[in-house]
Amino acid sequence: MKKTILGGLAALVCLGMTALNAPPARAEQTIYNTPLPSTIRVAIRAENPSGESDPRGRILWVQTVPFDEYCEDVLPNEWVPSWHIEALKAGAMAVKMFAWYHHLHPVTIDGFTFDVDNTVNFQTFRYWSRQPETNAAVRAVHNAVYVKPNGEIIELNYRAGYRNSPNWQYRNAQKMAQWGSEYWAERGRNWVQILQFYYMDRTLRWI
Amino acid sequence: MTHPSRWGHVLLVAACATTWTVFPGPARAEGHPASPGMSHVTPAVTPAAGNRTPTHPAPVSPKRPNPANPAAPSQPVPPTAPSPSEDVPGPEAQRPSMPAPLPPPTPGLTQPQFSPYVPWPTSKLRVRVIDGRTQQPIEGAEVVLIETEQRATTGPDGYTQWMDAPIIRNPRYRPMVAELHGQLGVIAYKNGYRDSIHLGIRMHEGLPSETTVWMYKLGPGDTRIEPVLYQVPYHHVWLVELADKFRSKTQPGEGPERP
Repeated sequence: MKKTILGGLAALVCLGMTALNAPPARAEQTIYNTPLPSTIRVAIRAENPSGESDPRGRILWVQTVPFDEYCEDVLPNEWVPSWHIEALKAGAMAVKMFAWYHHLHPVTIDGFTFDVDNTVNFQTFRYWSRQPETNAAVRAVHNAVYVKPNGEIIELNYRAGYRNSPNWQYRNAQKMAQWGSEYWAERGRNWVQILQFYYMDRTLRWI
Repeated sequence: MTHPSRWGHVLLVAACATTWTVFPGPARAEGHPASPGMSHVTPAVTPAAGNRTPTHPAPVSPKRPNPANPAAPSQPVPPTAPSPSEDVPGPEAQRPSMPAPLPPPTPGLTQPQFSPYVPWPTSKLRVRVIDGRTQQPIEGAEVVLIETEQRATTGPDGYTQWMDAPIIRNPRYRPMVAELHGQLGVIAYKNGYRDSIHLGIRMHEGLPSETTVWMYKLGPGDTRIEPVLYQVPYHHVWLVELADKFRSKTQPGEGPERP
């Protein structure tokens, strides 16, 4: 009888230790429990001789940038400012949600902790490269988010794609094609329809 | 491929075209919208040219815009399912994601062919000059647009006035992959600062552009003073396209871009 009680106590202690060592349950980060970031940490990598930041270059420093300014300084380097305004708005939404997701999932490399770097590893960022046209697109989608139906913040990924093509293969991979966004915008789609084409099971919400 | 076999292909295609235009098949002749034009072949038309239908438009898709109202397709059109009465060409076209065709080009807005002997198209540009260390705007800096030798002076906010600036694309790349933007260079001068040369400023047709030039103060330890150069890199979307243009199948390198 005594042995049984001791065995039961030991089992309870083991169970308690296991529960203590288990990773803590973490609530999903949604737009309902996560505010829009005010700043973002950008790792600046060394440039190659042509003046472009090298994706494999050494990290020089980490720059803290206001979040809206970050989006404004990324969009003209990822989308082309002369493209259709609806393509730019779709791009502004992708840039914002990509940055927001990585702000929630920072990384540490070579002793630097940051959210994104300034190269195509994340999104191409050049400080003070903002343009009037792309700024207008960023402002137009400022209060909108494109998230999972439960509000979970996810990464909106994208790639260049191919000119004059809807880039169906990118839709299958759940990535927006930058050239594809221009293709659809030229054909009368608005930015929400472009996002709906490339990303499945996502919802537009307003914050 | 050797020359005889290539000529053999040409003769074969020409013979097929002749046969098809002179003796149109019954399946193609009945009910096809383009078929009446196909049967009217004059002897003066070469066999290869007879394959085309210059006097008859291509089969019109149900979603093709009304030519009498060219402004209509430029408005955002929500994807709607076609009505049952419409002539739907196939299951692919029934998807709501199928694109509407491009609106007809407006005569005045077509991009002119490149020629080094005509004036460049221009757009608006203004330059902002800041101190590279303090990030504060520099007033009274002189900015020279290299290509046109225009000069402008910055105001209290560090900005110059809007200038008419040319959009110059590198003609070397034009026959291969047209650049997405033109490029310009400026030099900024300010007493007490190093000269700053800023090359590769991106310029777009019909769009005002801005750029920021960083200037660095001269210090007491600066014995050899030379200009500071900043080169705006090419847009990476264009670089992806350029690299794909010449990719061979035998040595594809990183391969075509994939999602």
